[in-house]
Amino acid sequence: MKRLFVFIFAVTSLAACTSTSSENIQQKPESVTLLAYDAFTPEPGIFDDFTKDTGIDVKVVTGGDSGVLISKAILTAGNPEGDVLWGVDNTMLSRAEQASLLMSYEPVNTGDICINADKEWFASSDVPMPTRLEDLVLPQYRGLLVTQDPVASSPGLGFLLGTIAHFGEGKWQKFWEALKGYVHIAPDWTTAYTVDFSGSSGNGKYPLVVSYGSSPPAEVLYADPSNPLTEPTTSVIESTCFRQTEYAGVLRGSTNSVAAEALVTYLLGKRFQESMPLSLFVFPVNPDAVLPDLFVKFAVRAKNPLTVSPQDIELNREQWLNEWRALLL
Amino acid sequence: MTTRRLLSFLPVGFVAVFLVLPFLNAIATFFSVSTTRDVLTNPSMLRIIWFSLWQAVLSVLVTMIFAIPATWALSRFQFPGARLCRGLLTAPFVLPSIVVAAGVLAVSQRTGVVSILWAHVVFNVAVVVRLVGPRWEFLHPKYESLAATMGASPAQTFVYIVWPNIRSAVISATALVFTYCFTSFGVISIVGGFSRRTVETEIFTQSVRLGNTDVAIALAIIQMIVVLLVFQISRPSLRQFSSVDVITHPMSLFVKPRGRWIVLASVGSPVIVVSLPLVATLIRSVSYRGHISFHAWTTVLGGTLPQLTVSTWRVIGTSLLFSAITAVVTVSLALMAAQQMGRQWFQYPEQRRILRFITSLPLVVSAATLGLGLVITFNKDPFAWRSHTWLIPVIHALIALPVAIRILEPAMQAIPSSLRDNAALLGASPWHTWLRIEIALLRPALLRSVGIAAAISLGEFGVTSFLTRSNSTTMTMAITQLLGRPGALTQQSGYVLASLLIVLTLGVTSRA
Repeated sequence: MKRLFVFIFAVTSLAACTSTSSENIQQKPESVTLLAYDAFTPEPGIFDDFTKDTGIDVKVVTGGDSGVLISKAILTAGNPEGDVLWGVDNTMLSRAEQASLLMSYEPVNTGDICINADKEWFASSDVPMPTRLEDLVLPQYRGLLVTQDPVASSPGLGFLLGTIAHFGEGKWQKFWEALKGYVHIAPDWTTAYTVDFSGSSGNGKYPLVVSYGSSPPAEVLYADPSNPLTEPTTSVIESTCFRQTEYAGVLRGSTNSVAAEALVTYLLGKRFQESMPLSLFVFPVNPDAVLPDLFVKFAVRAKNPLTVSPQDIELNREQWLNEWRALLL
Repeated sequence: MTTRRLLSFLPVGFVAVFLVLPFLNAIATFFSVSTTRDVLTNPSMLRIIWFSLWQAVLSVLVTMIFAIPATWALSRFQFPGARLCRGLLTAPFVLPSIVVAAGVLAVSQRTGVVSILWAHVVFNVAVVVRLVGPRWEFLHPKYESLAATMGASPAQTFVYIVWPNIRSAVISATALVFTYCFTSFGVISIVGGFSRRTVETEIFTQSVRLGNTDVAIALAIIQMIVVLLVFQISRPSLRQFSSVDVITHPMSLFVKPRGRWIVLASVGSPVIVVSLPLVATLIRSVSYRGHISFHAWTTVLGGTLPQLTVSTWRVIGTSLLFSAITAVVTVSLALMAAQQMGRQWFQYPEQRRILRFITSLPLVVSAATLGLGLVITFNKDPFAWRSHTWLIPVIHALIALPVAIRILEPAMQAIPSSLRDNAALLGASPWHTWLRIEIALLRPALLRSVGIAAAISLGEFGVTSFLTRSNSTTMTMAITQLLGRPGALTQQSGYVLASLLIVLTLGVTSRA
């Protein structure tokens, strides 16, 4: 027991030392806080150029998944936890607008939510890979697709919105009614992609999964080095892609809005935009940004993506989700 | 007297500031009478409440079936591997639900009630072993032997000798397990499948996903009332047995004349049930689509976490630091509270009841609601604590406090007051008596509460996922992030980190 207490004491005092020393470092004149979701993993050192040019330090703080982050930001609108908010997407933009969460905002990246297919499974099966949403309700695709609960998961919501965009108001319900016995609904992306899907680490039994247009390059880049991939084991069914746009903006109540504006400008600049594909797996919005090879070869950015306007989403989201639940539960 | 006041004031003040205040603030901000009425008359909401109740009752039953025999065997007998078994049974309590859930799904291959029950057993066997174990160890086996010598059957011995001594601990463990299962969030939302909803998952959905904070608050109040009722019913009676005169040590299994296999089966079956999902985690860390590869292990142990911006050591260091702070804060506060509750109950029954009530509150309040409450309460200088890193271990301590008290209090009560009186009579100062008698006798319980507090901190990712952090990614967070991204190496690294968390927790809990 004595040893345990000595250990605890040592660790605690170490902590005390490190925290005081880091406070000393933070005595710099100006800094700006970027508030983002937990999955925000920018390229290490990406803000060094910004600090060098402007003298402003960037502090990145994270606050939960994107849903938690936005809910918290809305509850604390006007008294924010940072200066710049990263990660409001088009499914939540209207909610943010209604709460006057942001003083200004810009689209900062895009990504597509699409059905991914296990190439190996389809190569060794008589069933051809589906090419459009309508295929999914054909008998041969029964029990092949796993998607996510749209209430809890953002790819799940994206896929539902995609079907609404494709079939139209009043008609999407029919599609889902037909899909009901054919599709498996997972609670979240992790369970769907890594447990249920057959094409990735989980070895599950579903060869079709709702994921991202940028999942295949991630499979290649982060393949097991002892079993490297020259091309992905999965492919994207382009006609099912729903376009997701993420925004960055200056939070109302920011104490340093000039620096915040400068940071947003930097986020839109070529240097940051070009770092996004391989660190955040999204597409840049800046037309000057050059895509890395891996993205050019394997990532899908649909030519004619399915879209629903943020206003329509905000107006109907609860109604759509309730209808969807009533159909599928 | 003043010291005593201060000692009971500290735990109460702690809970008041970090829980009562933010929770009341959340209610004051979002509560609406008409919404609450709507919730109570909405059939789908009533179905959710009903499902939460019955799955929790069932989970408690199944947990007890596995846990009580295991507790008996582990507190009565010593055999090679006993410590490892204890560690295996208690470690999952603190694992992130995503790890246990993925493990359970990997074995059961399906979402639904069976998987929910399984995951709840995996998590909660630990609670029973931790809470009932110390009490059982305090009961000297000579009473059982005496009863047997005088012709009592094993059943009679259990009913008349053992049960009265462990009853309060069993009841308190039952209430705790019920509460954890009733308010369980991670398990239900993953292995329950999308159609199984409980009050806590609905609170989260309504407040975070749909923005209906008023509905969430109504549900949180309903949930709180149910849990308070359970605690009221399970309140231990004031008449306590303390038939202890020495601390017992488990006897070697080899000297047990008959029925050794019963002991081994009592430990073995829960160990299998609990460790299968853990083994699945280990397997997934080295296998990918039929290939066996240790690359993820070398990557992670080399310090890199694929796709993340923090290093392995930083993440492990943060977790250990938080758990050490949590252990210190929790156990100090729990000791103060348990001391007050255990000692002078015959003089201040009312004070004791209030203390018990207030220190139980962290179990009662919904995690999502508390998280939101913290964010909207500690938001202005000089109390703008919501973005301070120290708040994270403090909230961990808040969550661990009721459990630590439940471990310490029965052990404290089991100390016969005659020992204390004798020491005083022989001229020992109160400080000396406390150090040499109480702390010495409480040692096993103290170690257990240190272990469990540290462990709760390692795995907690409910309330604190609402707090804002900078450079303080914990292992649990990193696992969630790694498992939330495509790529074989990334996925396997998530399972490597989960395996490390299991090993670390085994270390913390089996030594204590």
